[in-house]
Amino acid sequence: MYDAKLIETLSLIMIITSVAAVESYHLRRAATAYCVQALLVCGLILAFAAGNPALYVWAAVALVTKAIITPWLLLRAIGKTGDVEAKAIIGFGPSVLLASGLLIACYTLTHKYVHFLAPTPEAAQGVFRTNLAVSMTVFALGLYAILSRRDAIKTVIGLCLLENAIHLSLVSLAPHMRETALVGIATEVVITVALLLYVIVGIREQIGTTDTFELSELHW
Amino acid sequence: MHENEVQSLLLIAICVIPAALAVITYPLARLFRPFGPALNIFGAGVVTALAIPIAMQAAGGQVMVALGRELRVDGLSALLVLVISVISLAAAIYAVPYMRLTPLLERVRDAAGRDVTGRRLATFYALSQAFLFSMLWACVTNNIVMLYVAVEASTIASGLLVAFYWDRRSLEAAYKYLMLLTVGIAFALVGCVLLYASAAPHMGEQAGVRAMLISDLPGVAAQIPHGIALVILSFVIVGFGTKAGIAPFHPWLPDAHAEAPSPVSALLSGVMIKMAAYALVRVLSIFFPLAAYHPVAMFVIVLSAFTMLLGGVMCLAQDDLKRMLAYSSVSQIGYIAMGLGLIGIGFDQTARYLGGYGSLFHLLNHALSKGLLFLAVGAIIYKTSGLRRMSDLRGMARRMPVTAVCFFVGAFAISGMPPFNGFWSKLTLYLAAARADLWWALGIAIGTSLLTLIAFVRAGYLVFWSDADTEVGEDEREDAPAAMLIPMGVLAALCVAIGLFPQIVYPLLDPAVKVLVHIP
Repeated sequence: MYDAKLIETLSLIMIITSVAAVESYHLRRAATAYCVQALLVCGLILAFAAGNPALYVWAAVALVTKAIITPWLLLRAIGKTGDVEAKAIIGFGPSVLLASGLLIACYTLTHKYVHFLAPTPEAAQGVFRTNLAVSMTVFALGLYAILSRRDAIKTVIGLCLLENAIHLSLVSLAPHMRETALVGIATEVVITVALLLYVIVGIREQIGTTDTFELSELHW
Repeated sequence: MHENEVQSLLLIAICVIPAALAVITYPLARLFRPFGPALNIFGAGVVTALAIPIAMQAAGGQVMVALGRELRVDGLSALLVLVISVISLAAAIYAVPYMRLTPLLERVRDAAGRDVTGRRLATFYALSQAFLFSMLWACVTNNIVMLYVAVEASTIASGLLVAFYWDRRSLEAAYKYLMLLTVGIAFALVGCVLLYASAAPHMGEQAGVRAMLISDLPGVAAQIPHGIALVILSFVIVGFGTKAGIAPFHPWLPDAHAEAPSPVSALLSGVMIKMAAYALVRVLSIFFPLAAYHPVAMFVIVLSAFTMLLGGVMCLAQDDLKRMLAYSSVSQIGYIAMGLGLIGIGFDQTARYLGGYGSLFHLLNHALSKGLLFLAVGAIIYKTSGLRRMSDLRGMARRMPVTAVCFFVGAFAISGMPPFNGFWSKLTLYLAAARADLWWALGIAIGTSLLTLIAFVRAGYLVFWSDADTEVGEDEREDAPAAMLIPMGVLAALCVAIGLFPQIVYPLLDPAVKVLVHIP
């Protein structure tokens, strides 16, 4: 019913795109990596839709909100704030090592202890299990990007990764969820990203940088 | 249809009206500027008028439903709906003169230095209605995923309200606000979806629809595997806890609450964090009747004790009045969360009931007193053209006597001093903690109250009394305009009235507590 090989290949590429989005020093490349990842999310959902036709709508929602609107918003904001990322907290080499360690640990753990996350026996097996583990790994990488990067745009890209992961995890967790709820979730993510980028462009205009370390007016 | 449930169109009306106003306010206010504040007051007024019959029906023991149980209001929701409406109305009236304040609006310019006041104010009033809608929706919805959607919608609606002045400080606050809350609430989404997914297999017929209904979830809570339930609870505590400002997820709160315009601060601190506490307890109370989850309740109590202490200490260290109030909100949300934790602990019905009663009573009291305090500090900002540091303000009692009285009423109420409302809710919480044998929590709670009292008396002394002998000119002896003093006066009167007659809120609180404590 499911093309397990296809799903696993797409999942693997998806993790690679996450690392690329996190580690790329040029924001446009990071945004492109994010866009590729969003397309992979669509592809993965389509692969799952072979067993559950309701998922075609989900793939369409992901395509419009995550692969078209969000990258467009990102690229537009990057056009206004500049392509080069503010220096990260950790250097490129250690960061790649850390991210790889994180992804291996996270994938192994979630794959092994999937019964803590899988609400149904089906979700704990086969491709659904892989899907959950991939989602949680991308979630962790998104969180890592938000915590370790100083550039405000980069943190938004991290947030987008995190939301992609959630969207994908729903395929395993709640494949029968109503489309209205899904559209609600996906729409809000786009609006939040748009607002964040709007505020960041404002910050760039006011203080001349998108480095969050420069946001130090409000201490404690 | 379940017993006690009645169909009610009020629930649809209370959501649709502010939502519709949010849509039409911007174009109308651009056309003619006074439409903005007028529609804002109209919306909050209509919502309050609808909230009163809803609260009365709920006090009578009825549960209202609409749209096939998609919307559902029991005693707990009704309490929140009423509190949100009343504070919103006070803030809407107060905003009329406050948002016209020229020295503050000086800051509102676009990149090219053009004056964008008209556009910005129209957005402000439209978003105020959207914010009101999202908070009401969160309290009225009976759908676990829509609960997340509504809570996130309130972040979206209030993000630009925080950034209203568009200067360095407010932009920084807005960035942190949007980023931290969105990441935090993403955890809540995973928690909510997991809850839905793990309940669905046990729901029988129409599982896909029924597993989304919060009111149907307690029935299957015992069948959800323990490990998954713990993951759900931890995700939800992190998620909605971030939104509620529970430490250590609170860093966004002091920035956002201090940098937003004062009427918005009153809403953020007065009601928005309560709405998040409501969302949290909605999910927690699904599992709390089960003995296996008592350690989770204990964890909530530990977290809340940490929150109140941290908030209390940080409150003492502030020079900025609004930041002090914001940290005090962190501290007070700790009290509310402690009561919510007490609901889930032990088998002593009295301790659980007292915990729930104290928590919801304090939720109500804190909404009134913190709303009042933010409005009072706003009045000082208004009259001094933007001053809000204690070190910059002296002898304000002689210039603004009414504001001074309101500030002290709020300060004593929030510190839990008799004869004000905060005294009774804190006393109830102390009794509940003692009854549950949590003496350490009781000690921290009383100690934090003392810290709060010290912080507020110090602030009040510095701002209102010190250097009071300086001669005040006749023209300077002028309080804020009536449109600002009346909402403050009403909130202060409510603080005193509930303090003198705490039994008047019993009919409102008792059904709300019974929803949580499951007393037949």
